[in-house]
Amino acid sequence: MPDRSADVTGPRIARSALAAVLVAVAAFVATWVAWEAGGFEVDLPWAPVWDLRLSLELDGLALLYAVLAAGIGAVVFAYASAYVPRHLAHQGRPRGEEARLHGAMVLFLVSMLGLVLARDLILLFVFWDLTAVASWLLIGFDRANRPARLSALMALLVTTITAVLLLIAILVLRSEYGTTQIDELVAVARPGWAVALAGVLIAVAALTKSAQAPLHFWLPRAMAAPTPVSAYLHSAAMVAAGVFLVSRTHPLLALEPALLDGILAVGLASIVVGGLLALWATDLKRLLAYSTISQYGYVATMLGIGGAAGAAGACLYVLVHAIAKSALFMTAGAVTEATGRKELPRLGGLARRMPLLAAGSGAAAATLAALPLTLGFFKDELFFKAAAERGTWLAVAAVISAALTLAYIGRFWGGVFLGRSDATVRPLERRLVWPIAALGALAVAGGLVPGPFAELAQEAADVTAAGPAPVDVAYHADTRTENVMAVAAWLTGALLLAGRARLQGLLSAIARAGQAIGPERLYTVALEGINALSNRIHDVEVRDLRARIAAVLVPASGLIALGVIFTPTGSTYEVGRLVGADVPLVMMLGIGVLAAVAATRPRRHLRLALSLSAVGFALAVVYALLGAADIALVAVLVETLFALLFVGVFSLVPARVLRRESRRRGSPSARLRNGLIAATSGVVTMLVAWGAFSRPIPDDPSAQRHLALADEAHGKDVVTVILADFRGLDTLVEITVVLVAAMAVATLLHGRFRA
Amino acid sequence: MSLLTRFVSRLLLAPVLIVAVGILVKGYADVGDGFAAGVVAALALLLQYVAFGSDAVESALPIRWAPGIAVAGLALAVLVFAGPMALGDRPLEHLPAPGDEPVHIGSLELITAVVFDVGVFLLVLGAVGTIIGSLIDPDEEAP
Repeated sequence: MPDRSADVTGPRIARSALAAVLVAVAAFVATWVAWEAGGFEVDLPWAPVWDLRLSLELDGLALLYAVLAAGIGAVVFAYASAYVPRHLAHQGRPRGEEARLHGAMVLFLVSMLGLVLARDLILLFVFWDLTAVASWLLIGFDRANRPARLSALMALLVTTITAVLLLIAILVLRSEYGTTQIDELVAVARPGWAVALAGVLIAVAALTKSAQAPLHFWLPRAMAAPTPVSAYLHSAAMVAAGVFLVSRTHPLLALEPALLDGILAVGLASIVVGGLLALWATDLKRLLAYSTISQYGYVATMLGIGGAAGAAGACLYVLVHAIAKSALFMTAGAVTEATGRKELPRLGGLARRMPLLAAGSGAAAATLAALPLTLGFFKDELFFKAAAERGTWLAVAAVISAALTLAYIGRFWGGVFLGRSDATVRPLERRLVWPIAALGALAVAGGLVPGPFAELAQEAADVTAAGPAPVDVAYHADTRTENVMAVAAWLTGALLLAGRARLQGLLSAIARAGQAIGPERLYTVALEGINALSNRIHDVEVRDLRARIAAVLVPASGLIALGVIFTPTGSTYEVGRLVGADVPLVMMLGIGVLAAVAATRPRRHLRLALSLSAVGFALAVVYALLGAADIALVAVLVETLFALLFVGVFSLVPARVLRRESRRRGSPSARLRNGLIAATSGVVTMLVAWGAFSRPIPDDPSAQRHLALADEAHGKDVVTVILADFRGLDTLVEITVVLVAAMAVATLLHGRFRA
Repeated sequence: MSLLTRFVSRLLLAPVLIVAVGILVKGYADVGDGFAAGVVAALALLLQYVAFGSDAVESALPIRWAPGIAVAGLALAVLVFAGPMALGDRPLEHLPAPGDEPVHIGSLELITAVVFDVGVFLLVLGAVGTIIGSLIDPDEEAP
């Protein structure tokens, strides 16, 4: 029977969506072609001063993750081309915003490709942070939705704060071994404190990116993103980046066996936490998010087991999970689009209404639950093999994990497609259904002909294990350990699924306990605390400008006065001789003094500003008379500009506020206090200046050198040469500050009437 | 504003800008640098605002691009700073090297340090332009 439900043509594909799909397909093809041609290597000096290299290489591990990022990307982008217009329409947003999402998706794809190809840890870190930025843009795509914005912020903060740990680890390795090239590090690193410290930091950063317990809480929140984003980020890209990093640095981490044990423990904890929460959740996407935590727990566990078996299992697992989980996420989106519902209890019986969707996602669910005749069967075989080699207790844990997976995936698929429900099914575009069917078909094809998939996983596993790590995939009809464990897992899983209703109370209790005292709570409390602290500091800073100035001036002038009193004076305070040529200088200084005194009088703001700039102009003339032409020019210009800007600012303040402020007279005691503060600091400053000028100016050798070098630098004006050449870095930083300040002023003034 | 102010402002715009460019390109040999030139040009802009009001200035001059000009200036300065690193030199390595004879156009010498100064000029002009624009017409972006 043809699938009637997938017969709508839908709106035209946006050009941006088409471009995104084409980029992904091109990346996929290019990766394969390059691999068949023997891989490629780029090594360009990037910043040789710091010994940084733009070094990219396509090896087996990079191949696996690049193929996943580009291949799954192409499928998900095709799905997004139909999904996003609907998503925008539901929220009454213009279709033009579509391009933003596709653009961020492509940015993510590109940074993911850069991440997996990077051979230099610094370069890897750059791409690592780029993926975080792209994920922030994607998760917060619904800008008007506050929970979405907070979720995006949470994902960004949690993954980038831990990314700083990664940077620290890189710098530790660099200071110890003098290189950031992964191959060189692996060659020279020996067990020791540097590797142990760096390993811990790398593991924390990586496991957080892969949403492992206890820093897993950002992932369920990230479900605020549109479904294609979840389908991409939480199957083949964002979370995959974490286990990729562990794989990439595995030869380093393996130097410290305790590190691998830690990763193993985190992995097992995540399997259990994610599995139980997935069994509890009713929201389709949340269930899948918890399942992702659990599934990457498998990968972390196998990487923790290490060795050939662990590496082989981990790499095949990542491949299978990416195919299955992206299909299931897209299923959740398609089902919600068709029925308008997203809670398991309100869904059911869709198998007859949407047979193609049911078949495709059924295959994906089966492969995740490791049923035979799907590619997923082999991922659990390898998992069981690696676990059983490690010990009986881990074998038991593996069986329980697999049973949990079977139970919640069975619950997901059964809850949507079996049973009955009163939901009305609206027809969907083909592009919302076919990608799922294609991935489902791929999973089944992998179950029948696992060879190519195993080969791909093996290339990656060889790199991870730094040695041959065969991925043996074949059906064996005998009672070997793996088969027995698989059957045990299916039976336990079926029991769990059947008895879930009885467990509901226990599961809710666990979920509630997690919400009450879990790490997410800690994050919220910490974030609110930091926010409150920042507000307090800001409050203290801006509330009373006068008090703040006094707080600087009074202690400073007091300390300096003490210094002046206790310093032997002798010839410190000299009054030099005045000659006739100094008359203009003294006159200008006198005018400056007069203007400064006059500035204490006016009550009107404008007059105050003008008398202050009169002080500045008088000083500018003093500079000119002293022969400092450059400084005089800048002083005149800046004074002019400031005078005009003052006028501009005053014109923004309502006239009555200015009048009221200028009529305000402080109490007599306050005026006395202000006068005392001003007089003390003025007198002390004068004493210091007088003392400084009384000494002969020391012969500064650097000034002479600058003068001599200016000619060599083709300059005749030494001030400009210093600014643009000798101290160019200072200038660069200063103008950056100017730009930031200008942007801040503009933003503040724009926001003035919006508040 | 009085007729005289308008007349003088219009008359002054081109000469002031020429002075700014003069301060900029001759900065290496004489008083002045990119910063001073930027402020001079910004003052010319401010004078136009005072004389003609924001509407007239914004339709006559590309004031909308002020933030872009500032960013472009920073980008130019960063380029001069980081460009040599890409070529394997130390950062901010200016050309021509000490001892080499610069290319002359008339009495003007072509050296990369001046390009850096041009970046400073653009940034100051753009930044002050941005501030002036938002001071005089603060709610242009408000709905």
